[in-house]
Amino acid sequence: MSALSDDHLGSLRGLLDYPDLTGTRYEIRRKLAVGGMGSVYLAHDRALDRNVALKVLTIPDLSGERAARMMREAHVVARLEHPGIVPIHDVGRLSDGRVYYTMKYVEGATLEQFRQPETPLPDLLRLFQRVCEAVEFAHSRGVIHRDLKPANIMVGPFGEVLVMDWGIALAATLTRDPATTTPDSRSERASEAGHPVPGGESAGSYVPTPNTAAGTILGTPAYMSPEQARGETVDHRCDIHGLGAILYFLLTGRAPFEVFDSPASPDRIRKGEVTPPRTHDRRIPRRLEAICLKAIAPSPDDRYQSARHFTDDIVAYLDGLPVSAYRETPWEVALRWFSRNRFIVFIVVAYMVVRFLLLLWRGI
Amino acid sequence: MIRDTTAGAGAGRSAFPPTRQSAIIALRSGSDPERRRALDTLTGIYWKPVYKYIRLHWHRDSDAAQDLTQSFFLAVLERDFFQDYDPSRARFRTFLRTCLDRFIMNEDRAAGRQKRGGDHERVSLDFGQAESEIHLTVGEDEPDRLFELEFVRSLLSGAVDTLRQEYHTGGKQRHFDLFERYDLDRADSGEKLSYGDLAGEFGLTIETVTNHLAAARRDFRRIVLDRLRAMTASEEEFREEIRTVLGIDAA
Amino acid sequence: MSKPVLGLILGAVLGALDGLTALFYPETAPQIVGIVIGSTVKGVIAGVIIGFVARKYQSLPIGIAVGLAVGLILAYLVAMMPDEQGNHYYVEIMIPGALVGLILGYVTQRYGRLPARAGH
Repeated sequence: MSALSDDHLGSLRGLLDYPDLTGTRYEIRRKLAVGGMGSVYLAHDRALDRNVALKVLTIPDLSGERAARMMREAHVVARLEHPGIVPIHDVGRLSDGRVYYTMKYVEGATLEQFRQPETPLPDLLRLFQRVCEAVEFAHSRGVIHRDLKPANIMVGPFGEVLVMDWGIALAATLTRDPATTTPDSRSERASEAGHPVPGGESAGSYVPTPNTAAGTILGTPAYMSPEQARGETVDHRCDIHGLGAILYFLLTGRAPFEVFDSPASPDRIRKGEVTPPRTHDRRIPRRLEAICLKAIAPSPDDRYQSARHFTDDIVAYLDGLPVSAYRETPWEVALRWFSRNRFIVFIVVAYMVVRFLLLLWRGI
Repeated sequence: MIRDTTAGAGAGRSAFPPTRQSAIIALRSGSDPERRRALDTLTGIYWKPVYKYIRLHWHRDSDAAQDLTQSFFLAVLERDFFQDYDPSRARFRTFLRTCLDRFIMNEDRAAGRQKRGGDHERVSLDFGQAESEIHLTVGEDEPDRLFELEFVRSLLSGAVDTLRQEYHTGGKQRHFDLFERYDLDRADSGEKLSYGDLAGEFGLTIETVTNHLAAARRDFRRIVLDRLRAMTASEEEFREEIRTVLGIDAA
Repeated sequence: MSKPVLGLILGAVLGALDGLTALFYPETAPQIVGIVIGSTVKGVIAGVIIGFVARKYQSLPIGIAVGLAVGLILAYLVAMMPDEQGNHYYVEIMIPGALVGLILGYVTQRYGRLPARAGH
């Protein structure tokens, strides 16, 4: 065996990851980030003379099926024209079998980076509202994201909000390339039977819902919905869960499922057991916590049934109005009314005080 | 529609040889020869990390380390250590290290026992080589990281050797020489080398250099991933191990 | 409901309540009915005026100022009338009266429907 020094290791590791883009129209400028599924690079598209974000999946796609799937999905998603939606431009396969895809390069910060403990909550909520609107739009066109999480939300230089990586999660959830099945491997139960999404416009909006075999979780499980973790069929409500998970992050700075410290974690994810946000921070308003918990309820039937309803509750919260997720005690109703109508309360109290003082004065 | 840049290597499935079956899974196989083979594979990758780990973490001298390494793998064989491995509980590497630690502690406790004699079957391992590499492991205190690093080193070394062999028998010695010159030697010496320089050195065109290097890297990657797949029991573990090998979010 | 109507109703309620507080002064007990009726009427008049002002001018400061003024003036007119013993209760009537006017001004500005704009 050859003796490899640490420098050798570094060099070899680097070239293992580096995508060989010969034969494509892209050339790497620099590495941007490393994610769960692969690395992101800033690349230059020679054909169109522009910069793009190029992501390379770590796992080789030996049969090409993953790439083909991604391409089909990308076509569906590319039809979404919305200021908050960034679909993938292009899909390809490297010479070593890895899939890469490109999309608009957004300068800005991910929500993970953007959210700081001192960022005002109303600002975060308004940002979040825009995310919900983008997702609502996609749902109305029959497209589900399936992998919503703070890392996929970009906040641009003008404060615009962009939801990225549409069309990835579906196509990337093949568990094993068919060419490599071994006797013991868990078989892929991908079902190509369409599952209609409410509000889908045309026949072409049937979105295949594959099953992922249990245990083969793609990407960050910390934000995943329980039904996805269990490998069941999903519908648009898994995105509601994703949105709720993002809200959870905005409120607490953590993911709903802290990952893999204990062996129980995968189990908790599948059951959807979440630590309530107020456990992490008592200052989080109860109504907001209720909204969040409703969105990430373990059973899809218990969640908001549309992104629209979710947004409505957020707006209601911001306006100081009652929210559907929270049953207020009479005391809380009164308190909320008082805080909205401070002036009146003050005047009435002033009136009573004056009356009282006059009484006293007379009594002297 | 999809730009498939595998055209050069021969399009279609024939370009990719079937990947190795997971040795971890084969450990539990009913067939004895299959288990033996699986153990051989695992031993092949792990013996050096084990040896170095014993030397550097357990601070044993070279002879003691040799002995322990031998007996450990012997025990693995005879006492079916790895039969208990449950992929859903921990990574194999962690499991192995735990077994090893426990094994050494037991051996220490039974220190009175005589040194294992030659009547036992011995695995033939090149300890001299391993010993000479000890100096390459620069100050990694944390046992987990140490073991992990040695594992990666062992994996990649083996891959380099396999590549060398493949290319030698396949008549692509040139490819390997270029690969070695650019991706290995240069890392060592830190010199700045361009494809143009290489082309001059080897008497080739730049284009040829580019293609040869690309091919070598492609094959290197394939070999590494192959071996890695053999070391893991599930897709998920495989993905995690890739990140370890690449040095992403280590530990 | 429209602002003037809101002012009317609220003025009546507040006026009646304000009148009832006279019960704290036992000496006024015999005239209590008259006091309450008078106070209610005062409240209605104040509420309607303030409501119409709110309809015309959508400005919280204006509404409050007008409310205060109207409340004060009407209360003064009432306070000018002595009771059977010839006592005047300027302070007891005018200050609360001004506050009631203030409440009416605020509420009619914040709530109540504006008329639909003609000719758009």
